[in-house]
Amino acid sequence: MVIDQDAMRHLSEAQVSVELATEDMTLNIGPQHPSTHGVLRLVARVDGERAYDVKPVIGYMHRGYEKLSEVRTYPQITALINRIDWVSGYANEVPFIVAAEKLMELEVPQRAQYIRLILTEMARISSHLVFMASYPLELGAATPLFFALRERERVLDLLEGVTGGRFHPNFNRIGGVKPNAGAGPTTRKTPQDLPAGFLNDTRDAMDKVLEVCDEIEDLVAGNEIILARTKGIGILPPEVAAAYGVSGPNLRASGVAFDLRKVENYLPYEDFDFSVVTGENGDCWDRWWVRLEEIRESAKIIQQAIDGMPPSGTLQAKVPKIIKVPAGETYVRAENPKGEMGYYLVSDGGLGPYRLKIRSASFSNISILPWILEGILVPDIIAIMGSLDFVLGDVDR
Amino acid sequence: MTSSPSETEAAEVTEHPLQGFADAVAEAVEGTAEIHFDTVKVTVPADRWLDTHSVARDELDLVFFSWLSAIDWSNEVAAGDPLSDEVEERIELMTTVGDLTEGKRVTFSTTLDKASPSIPTLIGVYAGANWHEREAAEMFGIDFEGHPELVHLYLPNGFIGNPLRKSYPLLSREVKPWPGTVDVEAMPEKEEPSTENPEA
Repeated sequence: MVIDQDAMRHLSEAQVSVELATEDMTLNIGPQHPSTHGVLRLVARVDGERAYDVKPVIGYMHRGYEKLSEVRTYPQITALINRIDWVSGYANEVPFIVAAEKLMELEVPQRAQYIRLILTEMARISSHLVFMASYPLELGAATPLFFALRERERVLDLLEGVTGGRFHPNFNRIGGVKPNAGAGPTTRKTPQDLPAGFLNDTRDAMDKVLEVCDEIEDLVAGNEIILARTKGIGILPPEVAAAYGVSGPNLRASGVAFDLRKVENYLPYEDFDFSVVTGENGDCWDRWWVRLEEIRESAKIIQQAIDGMPPSGTLQAKVPKIIKVPAGETYVRAENPKGEMGYYLVSDGGLGPYRLKIRSASFSNISILPWILEGILVPDIIAIMGSLDFVLGDVDR
Repeated sequence: MTSSPSETEAAEVTEHPLQGFADAVAEAVEGTAEIHFDTVKVTVPADRWLDTHSVARDELDLVFFSWLSAIDWSNEVAAGDPLSDEVEERIELMTTVGDLTEGKRVTFSTTLDKASPSIPTLIGVYAGANWHEREAAEMFGIDFEGHPELVHLYLPNGFIGNPLRKSYPLLSREVKPWPGTVDVEAMPEKEEPSTENPEA
C-alpha cells in the first residue's frame, strides 16, 4: 500500500487544529449581589472561563446631590454629603466645610481642627476595617469579619459619643465643629467640648485597633488560599491608575507615594509623624496590605493628636448667624479613606452654592473596571472588585 | 492669547505662592491664569482644549486626571437662587489635573456655546475622562466629539432633559415645597458677627 505522505500530513494537521466550538455568553452580575457593595451591575461577555468587554452599569443610586445642593443652604448641605460615602460619612464633610471656610476666609480654632482630624482618622479606620471584614469574606474566609467589626464598633461608639451619629455625624459647622452631643443640653454660656474621658478611651481604643491589625494579619497574611487568590491578580500599573484618576490606597498600592494629607493643608497633618504606605506590584494583595498598614498609621496619628491636643477653648470661629459665603470659587480636595474626595464650590454670595461639583473617589476608582477586568478569569472578577474597595453611594452621588 | 493678562494681575495682587506655577502653566498652554483661593485656574479657548491637556500631561507632568465637569452660567434659573449680577450666558467646561509628586494641580476652563455645546473628547489624553464626559453630556447636554459611547451614565435610558442645566426645574421641589422655614420665608437680614452659639 502506497502511503500518500502529503495526504497524511494534511490529515494530522486537520486533527490538531480541531477545537471545540465555544459560544460567547453574556454574564450579568448584580445589581443585587453581595460582592457589589451596593447596587453595581456588571455585564460581561464570557468566553469559557474568561470575561471580556466588562461594562459596569451604574446610576441605580443616583440621588442628584449636585442639583440638590443648589437649593440648600450651606449648613444644610453637610447633612446631604454625609451620605455620599456612608462607610466614612464624617470624612465627606471636611473638604466641603473647608471650601466654604476658605471663601469666607475664616480662621478655625486649632482645637476644632484637631477634633476634625481625630474624627477623620477614625472614619478612615472604620472604613478600612469594613474592608478588612468584607474582602476576605468575598474570598471565602468569614473569620476576619468578626475581628474587624468588633474593633470597628469600638471606634464607631467613640465617634457616636462625640457627634451623636454612627454613620452620618453631621458634626462640622462652618468655622468649627458642633457643640458636643454627649454633654447634654447645650447652654449658651458654657463652652462645649469633648465628652468626659473621650481622649483616654480613644487612646485605649487605638491600642486595641493596633492589636486587631496584628490579629488580622496573622489570620489573613498566612492563608495560602487568600495569597493564591490575590497575589499577582488584578495588577494596576501606576500610569494607568493616574490616567483614570484612581486615587487613595488603590493608587498607593501601585507604588505611587502620593497622599493628599502630605500635600494639601485642609487639616493640620503637618504636625504629625506618619508614613505614606505604598505597595510594590499593584495587585489585589498590595491593595489589601496598604489598607492594613494605613489603619496602623491612622491609629498612630490619633495617638499623637491626643498627646498634642490644644487646651479647651472655643470650638467655633465667629460667624454670622445667617451664613452667606462670599462670591468666589475654589476646589478643595482631601485624602478620604477611598481616595481623593473634593468639592469645587462656586458661590455667588448667597445662602447656598451656585454650583457644587462633587468629585468622589469611588467613581474614578471603578471607572478602571473595564480596563482591569479585560480577559480576567470569572472568579477573579470578585477578587479584583473587592480589592478596589468602593461604595456605591460614593460612585452614584 | 498671551501671558500678559496674568502678569498684570500678578502685579495687582500680592504674590501668591502658586503664582509662579500658575504663570508657567499659562505660558505652556497659551492660556490665562487666575488664582482663586489656592486653586490655580487656567482659561483656554475651546479650540485649544485637546492640545492644552496634551501639553499638561506630557510637558507639565500633570498625569493625574481628577475630574471633568461644567457650570451652567445662566441668568434665568428654574431651581435655586439666581445670580446677583447678570452674566454672559454660557457653559463653562472644567477639568482638574494634577501631578503625583508635589501635589500641584490645575483647573482648566473653557467656554462653550450654550445652544450647541460641543468639544473634542479627552479620552485620547486621559482615559479616565470617559465616564466624566458621559456624566457631563447627560447633565449639561454637551456633545463630546469622538467619544466612543456617549450614552447615559447615571440617568435611565429615555430620560429627557439635562438636569444640571439651570433651566431644568427640581421636580420634587415643584411638587412639594421644602418644609423648612428657611426656604419659604424671607430671611432676616442680620450681618454683624455673633459671639453667641451659632447653634442656638
